[in-house]
Amino acid sequence: MRNLMSVLTVLFLFAFTPAAQAMPPIEQARLDNGLRVLLMQSSNVPMVVMRLNLPAGSWQDPAGRGGSAAMLAAMLGDHTAKHDYVAWADKLDAAAIRLGGGASYDSLSMTLTVLKEALAEGVDTFAEAGLQPGWDAKRFAVLQSDAVAGAQKSLEEPGVRAAEETAATMYPKHGYGHRPDGDLASLKRIELKDLQSMYRKQFRPEGAVLAVSGDVTMDELLALIRPAFAGWKGKPAVSFTDIPEPVAVRGEQRQVVMPTRQMTVQMARLGLSRFDKAFFADMLLDHILGGGGFASRLMNEVREQRGLVYGVYSYFMPLAVPGPFVISLQTRADQAGKALDVVREVMRKMHDGDIGKQELAAAKANLTGSFAHRLDSNAKRVGLMSMIGFYGLPLDYLQNWEARINAVTLAEVKHEAARFLDAEDWNVIQVGPEVAGSGD
Amino acid sequence: MRYLKLFPAIFLFLFPPMAGAAPFAPLHEAAFDNGVRLVVEEDHSAPVAIVQIWLKVGGRDETSGKTGLAHVFEHMMFKGSKKLAAGEFSRRIAAMGGNDNAFTSHDYTAYFEIVPAAKVDEVLGMEAERFGHLNLRAEDFAKEIQVIQEERRMRTDDDPNSRMFEELTSVALRLHPYREPVIGWMQDLKKLDIDDVRAFYKAHYIPGNVTVVVVGDVDFADIKKTVARTFGKLKKQPVEARFNPVEPEPIGPKRMVAVLPAQLPMLAVTMPVPVWKPGENDREAAALAVATEILAGGRSALLNREIVDKQRKAFAAAAGYDPFSMGIDMWFAYGMLGPKQTPEAFEAALWATIGTLRDKGPDATQLAAAKRRMVADQVFAQDSLYIRAKEIGMLETVGIGAGKRDAWLAALGSVRAEDVKGVLKQWIRQERSTTGLLQPEVKS
Repeated sequence: MRNLMSVLTVLFLFAFTPAAQAMPPIEQARLDNGLRVLLMQSSNVPMVVMRLNLPAGSWQDPAGRGGSAAMLAAMLGDHTAKHDYVAWADKLDAAAIRLGGGASYDSLSMTLTVLKEALAEGVDTFAEAGLQPGWDAKRFAVLQSDAVAGAQKSLEEPGVRAAEETAATMYPKHGYGHRPDGDLASLKRIELKDLQSMYRKQFRPEGAVLAVSGDVTMDELLALIRPAFAGWKGKPAVSFTDIPEPVAVRGEQRQVVMPTRQMTVQMARLGLSRFDKAFFADMLLDHILGGGGFASRLMNEVREQRGLVYGVYSYFMPLAVPGPFVISLQTRADQAGKALDVVREVMRKMHDGDIGKQELAAAKANLTGSFAHRLDSNAKRVGLMSMIGFYGLPLDYLQNWEARINAVTLAEVKHEAARFLDAEDWNVIQVGPEVAGSGD
Repeated sequence: MRYLKLFPAIFLFLFPPMAGAAPFAPLHEAAFDNGVRLVVEEDHSAPVAIVQIWLKVGGRDETSGKTGLAHVFEHMMFKGSKKLAAGEFSRRIAAMGGNDNAFTSHDYTAYFEIVPAAKVDEVLGMEAERFGHLNLRAEDFAKEIQVIQEERRMRTDDDPNSRMFEELTSVALRLHPYREPVIGWMQDLKKLDIDDVRAFYKAHYIPGNVTVVVVGDVDFADIKKTVARTFGKLKKQPVEARFNPVEPEPIGPKRMVAVLPAQLPMLAVTMPVPVWKPGENDREAAALAVATEILAGGRSALLNREIVDKQRKAFAAAAGYDPFSMGIDMWFAYGMLGPKQTPEAFEAALWATIGTLRDKGPDATQLAAAKRRMVADQVFAQDSLYIRAKEIGMLETVGIGAGKRDAWLAALGSVRAEDVKGVLKQWIRQERSTTGLLQPEVKS
C-alpha cells in the first residue's frame, strides 16, 4: 500500500444462514487522515451509492436554533467555493449526479448516487461539496427563508405537530428536544456563523464514516477517494459518546389544538440506545406490540377487531443514548379515548407477561426471514453500513444479526415488556380539535 | 394502500427508494388459456423475490355514486377466503419472513408480497386461492369501511393540499374517470354496502384481468408451472372493455378556490395532455416528458431556478407528467407560497417561465442533461425490486406492455429542442388549464 494510508480489508466469509451467505462481504479501509471506508460490492446495477456520516447531528444545534445541522447539510450541497449554485446545479445535472444531505439527531450525512460511468466525477463533486464550502451569504438567506416557509407549511400536518410536541415533552433540556428539521421560530434565528462554527468543529475525517455500495472495487474506490479527500484532517470537537443521557419524563399529557377531523395520538417514553444489551429482545417486543404491521397486537386490536383506525404502530429509535419509544395512531376525534383505552389494555397485558411462545416464534420468523430484504439494494446497504460504521458496531453485525434474534428468550422479551410497557410511564400527546365532532 | 407506515421503524439510516427504470434485465412472458398473463424478471443477486398480482380494475371501473369501491375491495381481499381466515393471509406471509400490502389507482389494483425466494410458489398458491374464493362477509365489511373512512380523513380531509388537488382534478375534468378520487367521496363511502362489494368482485375479479409479475431470485420455468397450476386453473370468463371516454377538449380556462384551514397558500394548474401510445405518438409523449423534466427535474429545474431562486415568487415549485396513464394524463404544476408571496405573482411567473421555454426551446446542454438524467433515473430504479416489479405490472396493466421499456428510452433519446417547443405550444397552455388556489381560512 502507498504511504498515504494503511488499508485493512476484512472479509466476512463465514455465514450462519442462507441470507448471510448471500450477503456480499464488507470490506474496510482507513485513510491516513482517519476516515473509515466501508464497501459492499454489487455489480447488479451499474451504479454506486455512498454516504458520508459525521458527528454533526441536530443534538448539537445551538440553543434555540434547532435546524442548524440540517441547514449546514443544505448549504454544503447547494454550492461550493468554486461553483456558485447555478454552475453547481448545471454541473451535477449534466452528469446525472444526485447529491443529497441531511441531519438526524446524532449525525449529519451527505449522500451521492451516481452512474458507474460518472463515478470519478461524482467522487470529485462529493469531496468538493464537503471540503470546499462556499458560504455564500445570499444563498444562505434564500435557503433559510425557504426553510422557514416550509416549516410554517408543515404546521398543516398533524404528524409534524405531534412530533414537535413529543420531542419537546420528552427531552426538555436535551439536544433531542427538537426535530432535526427545526421549527418556524428556531429556523429564523440561525445565522451563517452557526453553521460555520459547527462545520469547523465537527466536519472532520476522524470518527467519520464513508459507506459505499455498488459496482466498484475497493482499489478503484480508494484510487478516487484518496486524492479527492487529500488534505482533509483532524478530529471533531465532540463525538456521539459526548451526548448526555436524557432524564426520563413520565406521565405528561399535552394537547395541540388543530381543526382536524381526526385526533393524532402519540404515546411516548424513553426507549433504548443503539448499545442497549437488550436491543434484540426489544426489537422482538416492538414487533409483537406494534412494529410488525398486521402481525402486531396493536393493529389487530385497534384496527382489525374494532375498526377504530387506519394506522396504528409502534417504533423505537435507537440513538447514541435512549431515543423515543413511540406508539402512534389517528382516529376520528370522538373515538380517541376509546382507542387509547384499547392501546393501554394491550400494553398492560404484555407488561404483565402475557406474551406467548408462538407469538415470539412468529416474530422471530418474520424478522429473520425478511433480513435479506433489508439488504437488497445499494441504498439499503449504504444505510446499514453507515449506521454500523458511525456507532462503531462490530463489522460482523449483519452476519450475526439473525443469530442474535434467534437467541432471544421468551423470558428476556417479558423482562423488556415489564421494563417498557407500564402505560403510566408514557407521555400522551394529542393533536386535534378541542371539541370532537367537526363532522366529515 | 391497505396500510401506510408514516415513520421509519428501526433502521434510521435507511434511505428512501428512489423514483424513476434502463439496462433492463430480459423479461420472460407467458399467457394462459383463461387470459391470465405472467411476466418474470430474474435477478439472482439476493435470495429475495417480489410477487405482484395486477388487476385491470381500478377507480375508473366504478359507477357513479359508488366511488371508492375498487379500493374498498382491495381491503376486503385481506378478510379471508375459503381456506384462509380473516387476517390469516398476512399472518402466513409474515411467518415466512415476508411483507405484504396492496395499492389501488384509477387504472389498476395490485397486491404484493416481498418474500424469501423459496416461498414464491406458496405465495402464488395463496394469492390464487383468495382471488378465486373470497369470503366477503358483511361483518368484516362493516369494520373495514370504518377503517377506510379513517384512511380518507387522514390522507385527504385533514390534509389541505391533498384536499385541494382532489377538488382541482374534479373541477378540471368533465367526463374522464380521473375526476373522481380513488379513495372515494366520503358521502359514497358511507353508503356502500356488502352487496356492492360482491357485485364488484363478480364483475372484475376474473382471470382475463390478471397479470402476475415476479421479480427476483426465481426461475421462469418453475414459476410458469406454478402459475399454470394456480391462476391458470381459474375459470375463463368474458372480459369487458374498460371505461375510457374521450375527454372533451377544454373550451377555456377554469378557476377554483378551496378555502381550508391551511397555514399558507398553494396555487396549482392542471390540464389534460396525451399519454404515450407506442408507435403512434412516441416523440410527442417523450417530448412532454422531457419538457417536464427541464421544468421540474434535477437541481437546474427551471421552475425552481427562475421562480424560487431568482424571482422569489414561491418557496417551492414543481410539475409532473405521467406518460403511462390511460387515455389522458393530468399534467400539473404548483407553487408553495410563503407569507409574503402572492398567488398572482406566482401564477404570472409560472406561465412566463413555461412561455420562455416554449418560445426559445431548451439549449443543447439543457436537453442533453435532461435526457441523461431520465436514463439515469431508470438505472437507479433498477436498484429496487419493488419499483422494477411495479413498473412492469403498471405498463402491462395500462396496455403499453413492459416490453416497450426500451422503446420509451429510444423515444426520449429522439426528442429535439423543436419537439419540446411544439408540445408546450400545443398542450401546456393557460386557456386549456384549470387553476386552483388553496386559500387559508381566515380565523374569526
